[in-house]
Amino acid sequence: MKAGLTSSVALHAVVLGVGLISLSSPRPLELTNVESFPVDIVPIEEIAQSVQGERTAPVAEIPAPKPTDKPAPEPVEDAQNVGDNKTDLATPPTPEPKPRPVETAEAPPPAPEPTPAPVPEPEPTPAPAPEPQPVPATEVAPTPEPKQEVKPDPAPEPVQPEAPAPDVAALPDVAPVPQAKPQPPKAQTAKTPERREPEKPREERRRETASSDSNDKSVEDQVAALLNREKASGGGAKRSEQQAALGGRQTTGAKLSQSEMDALRSQIQRCWNVPAGAAEAENLKVSVQFKLSASGELDGDPRIVAGGGSGGIERTAAESARRAVIRCAPYNLPSEKYEAWADVIVHFDPRDMF
Amino acid sequence: MEQMALTAPGGDHSLWALFWQAGWVVKLVMLGLLAASVWTWAIIIDKVLVFGRMRSALNRFEEVFWSGQSLEELYRSLSERKTSGMGSIFVAAMREWKKSFEKGVKSPISLQNRIDKAMDLALTREMEALESRMGFLATIGSAAPFIGLFGTVVGIMTSFQAIAASGATNLAVVAPGIAEALLATAIGLLAAIPATIAYNKLTTDAARLGLRMEGFADEFSAILSRQIDEKLPVRAAA
Repeated sequence: MKAGLTSSVALHAVVLGVGLISLSSPRPLELTNVESFPVDIVPIEEIAQSVQGERTAPVAEIPAPKPTDKPAPEPVEDAQNVGDNKTDLATPPTPEPKPRPVETAEAPPPAPEPTPAPVPEPEPTPAPAPEPQPVPATEVAPTPEPKQEVKPDPAPEPVQPEAPAPDVAALPDVAPVPQAKPQPPKAQTAKTPERREPEKPREERRRETASSDSNDKSVEDQVAALLNREKASGGGAKRSEQQAALGGRQTTGAKLSQSEMDALRSQIQRCWNVPAGAAEAENLKVSVQFKLSASGELDGDPRIVAGGGSGGIERTAAESARRAVIRCAPYNLPSEKYEAWADVIVHFDPRDMF
Repeated sequence: MEQMALTAPGGDHSLWALFWQAGWVVKLVMLGLLAASVWTWAIIIDKVLVFGRMRSALNRFEEVFWSGQSLEELYRSLSERKTSGMGSIFVAAMREWKKSFEKGVKSPISLQNRIDKAMDLALTREMEALESRMGFLATIGSAAPFIGLFGTVVGIMTSFQAIAASGATNLAVVAPGIAEALLATAIGLLAAIPATIAYNKLTTDAARLGLRMEGFADEFSAILSRQIDEKLPVRAAA
């Protein structure tokens, strides 16, 4: 035993000694200095979806242009012109509207006089049509050249007779006071011609309005003129007074919400007459694809893209699905998401109906 | 344990440093395991030597026994010195034989029983000597890893406590404590692996030697039984 113990101790001493020498301070790991950089996971929607707005505007929580909530029976076209109107008018602004406010502002005193005039209105209406000429004639004083150019193009005949009727009636009374007229119209003309005329006339008029404003004592007119000019230069939104927020030209990538999908589903479901005998049939799934116009009407025939095989019952099921889609039109869907529902595929499964 | 200081990054990480940085529980475990390892190896070396000697002694004895030498002579020469293995079994049986014949044998069956008993006893003693301390090897083989693991767990525990106290989570702070704790497991495994292997090997060897001795005892018992049968009728007749 003694021999075993001594040799064991010697063995351990040797092993420990070797271990202490060879295992002393292992070489430190050589680590290259790696820069760590954060990685964000960005959902594709952030890129694919955009909201209508202004390209250069700052980011805002809510996009400024408030989308129309309900689609009108006919989709409302985008406003062609920037202005004070509550509704968008497709008709281009004619020079007529300009003098109208001028005269109302100018001639409160004569107002009572024209009131009797409207009574004969129906009679003069056809007559005044040629008369508008006298109106611009008074305007010739400020800047005759651009106005004459503008007029012949847009002036739609039906519009003119209605609007100018009272004005014209008023005109002869106020006619002697041409000096005051030009001022307010200039403020408005500064806005309207912007889009349709080269810039020169606008600038000229601006200068004139500025000078004439100072001359004029009516503060309200000045303020009105200023306000008008602000609006014309600023990038207003379609039907909103807010400044546009950052966004693209139009809203893209919008998805129908769950409730909107449910609404569409239930609408189609109501119109769907499930073919008799379909309850037992195992695989009568039919997929119908159809296009919708912006007003929610069907655009073209619905197409069966899946299902509706050769068999009689399948054929019937497919046709019933197609009929359901046709019968249910028009669909009431949010117009601002038109892109999402312009092309729809609906899956019909009779098994879900029982 | 509480005053265990965290080593500064880039410090000494040699085995010696690791040992000294450890807490006292871990140190105790490591020292105990080291002692166990020393004792294990002492036993292993001793057993290997003993078994080797026993094997050669058995060979030598068998050679002498089957050489045709007179059993009386063999007994005389063997009884004078310390014997082991088959020698001691032979001596025990011969002693019983001699004693019985010196005092006169009454019954051959009881004589045979006595001789067998004496040989069994001698065989058991020899086996006991061969297998002594083997239990320690088995214990170390199974328990040393757990002891080492205990040291590691305690070491890591204290190390984490120290980290929590210091508030730093840098790997350089965590690493030394864990390394020194793992040293305990390493030592435990170092002790356990040879112990387990040696235990299995030595147990097999001891069993083989025991079988050989048992075989000899059976053979010698048969020889003696024949002798008894040859001698007793003569006496009974005489």
